[in-house]
Amino acid sequence: MKPYFGLARHDGNQPLFNLVEMSIISTLAGEPLHLHAEGLRGTGKTTIMRAARELLPKITRITGCIYNCDPDRPHCPLHRHMSREEIKALGTEEIDMPFLEISHSAKVGTVAGSIDLAKITDTNNPQAALLPGIIPQAHRGIIFIDEINRLADTSPEITDILLDVMGNKPGRLQIEEAGLPTVEITIQVSVWAASNPDEDPGPLEEVRRQLSDRFDMVVYMGRPSSVDVVVRMLEGSDRARREDFDANSFAAKNQEFRQRVREMAETYRVTELPDFLRNFIARVYIKHNLESIRAIEAVQQGAVLYSILKKHKQIMINDVIEMLPLALKHRVDGDTLVKIMNGLESKSSRDSILNIKDRRPSKATKEREEAYFDGGARRLKDMGRQEIIATEKALNPNDF
Amino acid sequence: MKVDRKEAFNTSSVVGNYLNIYFGQEQGVRLGESGVVSLKVHQVVAGRKGQVKILTNRDAGQCLLEFIDPGQVVHLCVFHQPGNIHPREVAKRIFWAIEEYVQQEDPHPSYIEKDTLQNAVDHALRIQVVTCEGKGLVYDLFQGQLEPLDPEDQVVNHVRVLIKVGSDRYGIILPIAAAVEEAIVNAGLELGKVRKIIHTRAKEQEANFSDYVLVPWKQLKNVSSLTLRENRNQLVMRLAARFGSIEEVEEFLSSYSPNIFHRMSKDQQHRKWGNLEENLQQFEELGIIKKTLLGTFLTRDGKELKEFILNHKCELEAEIRRNIRRKPKKSGKIHKLGENIQKVTNIEYVNYNKVKRHNDDTWSGHLAIPQTLMQAKKSSLLRHESRLTIQKEDLQFYEKRHYIPMDVCLLIDASASMAGEKRQAACYLAEHLLLSGREKVAVVTFQEMKARLAVPFTKNQKILSRGLKNVRPGGLTPLADGIITSVEVIRSTRVNNPVLILITDGMPNFPLWSFDAKRDALEAAQKIAELKVRFICIGVESNRDYLKELADCGKGKLYVVDDLNRSNLVDIMDYEKRVAYSS
Ligand SMILES: [Zn+2]
Repeated sequence: MKPYFGLARHDGNQPLFNLVEMSIISTLAGEPLHLHAEGLRGTGKTTIMRAARELLPKITRITGCIYNCDPDRPHCPLHRHMSREEIKALGTEEIDMPFLEISHSAKVGTVAGSIDLAKITDTNNPQAALLPGIIPQAHRGIIFIDEINRLADTSPEITDILLDVMGNKPGRLQIEEAGLPTVEITIQVSVWAASNPDEDPGPLEEVRRQLSDRFDMVVYMGRPSSVDVVVRMLEGSDRARREDFDANSFAAKNQEFRQRVREMAETYRVTELPDFLRNFIARVYIKHNLESIRAIEAVQQGAVLYSILKKHKQIMINDVIEMLPLALKHRVDGDTLVKIMNGLESKSSRDSILNIKDRRPSKATKEREEAYFDGGARRLKDMGRQEIIATEKALNPNDF
Repeated sequence: MKVDRKEAFNTSSVVGNYLNIYFGQEQGVRLGESGVVSLKVHQVVAGRKGQVKILTNRDAGQCLLEFIDPGQVVHLCVFHQPGNIHPREVAKRIFWAIEEYVQQEDPHPSYIEKDTLQNAVDHALRIQVVTCEGKGLVYDLFQGQLEPLDPEDQVVNHVRVLIKVGSDRYGIILPIAAAVEEAIVNAGLELGKVRKIIHTRAKEQEANFSDYVLVPWKQLKNVSSLTLRENRNQLVMRLAARFGSIEEVEEFLSSYSPNIFHRMSKDQQHRKWGNLEENLQQFEELGIIKKTLLGTFLTRDGKELKEFILNHKCELEAEIRRNIRRKPKKSGKIHKLGENIQKVTNIEYVNYNKVKRHNDDTWSGHLAIPQTLMQAKKSSLLRHESRLTIQKEDLQFYEKRHYIPMDVCLLIDASASMAGEKRQAACYLAEHLLLSGREKVAVVTFQEMKARLAVPFTKNQKILSRGLKNVRPGGLTPLADGIITSVEVIRSTRVNNPVLILITDGMPNFPLWSFDAKRDALEAAQKIAELKVRFICIGVESNRDYLKELADCGKGKLYVVDDLNRSNLVDIMDYEKRVAYSS
């Protein structure tokens, strides 16, 4: 497999590179960011997501806890009721941030949890115990689902589980097994999904709209936009091939990024979106009558992460604009998205100031001279309740 | 004082209720003596003193604030004598009025002041004030920000307030109107007397909208590459809808290249794509083409657009298919008459993803052996048995699922009256059904003097769209031949639960056997009943009676829609699939 930093970047796939890196930062900071890459075969969506595994930093958990309990905030059935001292006595260990896959043919038991086969078939001491599934084991990490549209189509049960897990941040999961007590735990995972909307059963939003809306960001994967870019890509891959001999250079890059992730996660924890940008986003939401409040939250979360990733000194309106297509394309129609983006552009450009000068005095002054209405109307506060409203019919009864 | 406030609040609520009723009837009213309020656009009538027009087909939110759905925004105009008034002055008074109002709305003592403020701010973010001096959201104006007027904002001698508020909270409108009046009077201006309001429809801007490519695209200079990309993308989507496919958009753009082998005469263009006059004008405005002494050529933007299409053909085509799969959101009025009685057969399959416990006595179904063994092992343990036994309650079975395939033959009226949007909607339905289901689709059209099999039963989208491209409305309505042709197509093909869907906006006027076109069609419809094919007519109010008769003859049902548009058609078929499924 090609190393992450050896993969060719171009304007069609750059957003996905940004998003996986942002999601890793966010996940480490304790706030999941769910991604969905949609694209035709050969656009590299799964390659990029799987390769990003190399970038994952370490996390600290209670030694041996299969639920990845954070020593400061234990949540699993085994540790959540223990005292600080008891936890301390157990010790901690560093593991790679989890990255687990759910295949489109997975079963509910594998995903959520089921009876522990090893324990129940133990001939010496058979026990009926729960084995947490992929989702609880990926706590504080990442779950990757390829062909999520097929999963949503063939397994509504797993889809329901995902809806709960992705419903809030953090999400929830119930593990049920007949005869054993139900376990409910909080889950903090970023879900990364990929799909080809052009293959059966079609785009996720048509298969299960709710699940599609759960993804904070969706990338429509593109191909390079011009011949120049392709040439540069080929040059790059040539260089990458040469550098392949020197695997160390990629390892060093990964190491450097992992180090930066820690710092960026720290920065993210303490960074707030400035009020004026928050209002700005709220106004987009109201003006365009957007239905999904998740979209707005995603734009806010994304803008902060993006500005940190790109080392901007402060969060700018452009960081917000950059996030809009990613957060909105799967939630609004094409016209609305373009309207929103065009509206923002004109606001941020300087010519709106110039416009005042040449527009203002034209029509208005000319027509102001003419009085369309007689003055002297009574004020509302001086009128009786029955007089306040007058219909067309009441005002000109002769016309009826 | 307290009692006054309470009473003022009650009056506001009562007025709000009345407004809700009038707005529901698409009406606006005069509020006080100088205000007009409605959900529509208002227009002052030049030369007619004291008159205000309410344009019932122009939604205020859609026209003035680019809202997507109608009915979201209340439009209040308060008229005054010539003179200047600053929007900030208006905004301030409105804000105070809202604050007062929300306090009264929930006067509970435990109600925290902060929440009231938050509530008021929330409203302030949803109210826009426009005067001749400028405009802005109440919230922004309050903080000293001001936006300049756009040329569309024809605000002369009145204050315009746009309020985004749900119909359950119209009570807030009266206090806002009173606040505006106060601001006007405070600015030293007299309130203008509205003597008459008139409800009327604005003229439609384009006589034939169907060929006009509607894009929010403007000439974009110095915008970010991201915005440019989204704009281009959307423009191509619209062009593809107009020209039929990406390939044809390419061909169209190439016809303006300097390469004389690609150039086309006006005549050639017309034969291929119909009347392009309006489009050409629009493309010129968008800066895609320019007229020169030597002829019309692509501009630099135009060339870049062509390049973009060349480089992204696969993705663009995939996105078009994606849009066709999408279910349109809004739908209009649909009436259903009659029922289908034909039986449907379903296809059963085993769902290996889900097991269930055995719960009947038939002992039938697919035994899930691994799950059963696991369950038995677990139960044995919980039953404290020393060795593994399998009990009846341990048995697990795979769930069965079934679906009802419905192969669809669309019988599309392609007479002259169907040109434009109706034709597009019918073709869209065909593609939507094919791309969003697993069934086969066939298309029969009838026009001029006979019917034609445009697309034989297929699952292949390329074959379908190629066939649909040649559906060019014109001529008469030979319905009888259309029905007979469809029946033959269904009879001669192996299909599952065939459905024949007739889409028409007119009456048959070309006969098949006799001199009575209508009678012939009724007779033809009996063949549908004989073949036990599910028959669905979709038509408009004006031909309701005849189509009902036709549906009855074919033992089918009739849907009457207010408009033969995409969403109505897709809605009907969605409903049909659900009904078939639950039967
Ligand atoms: Zn634990």
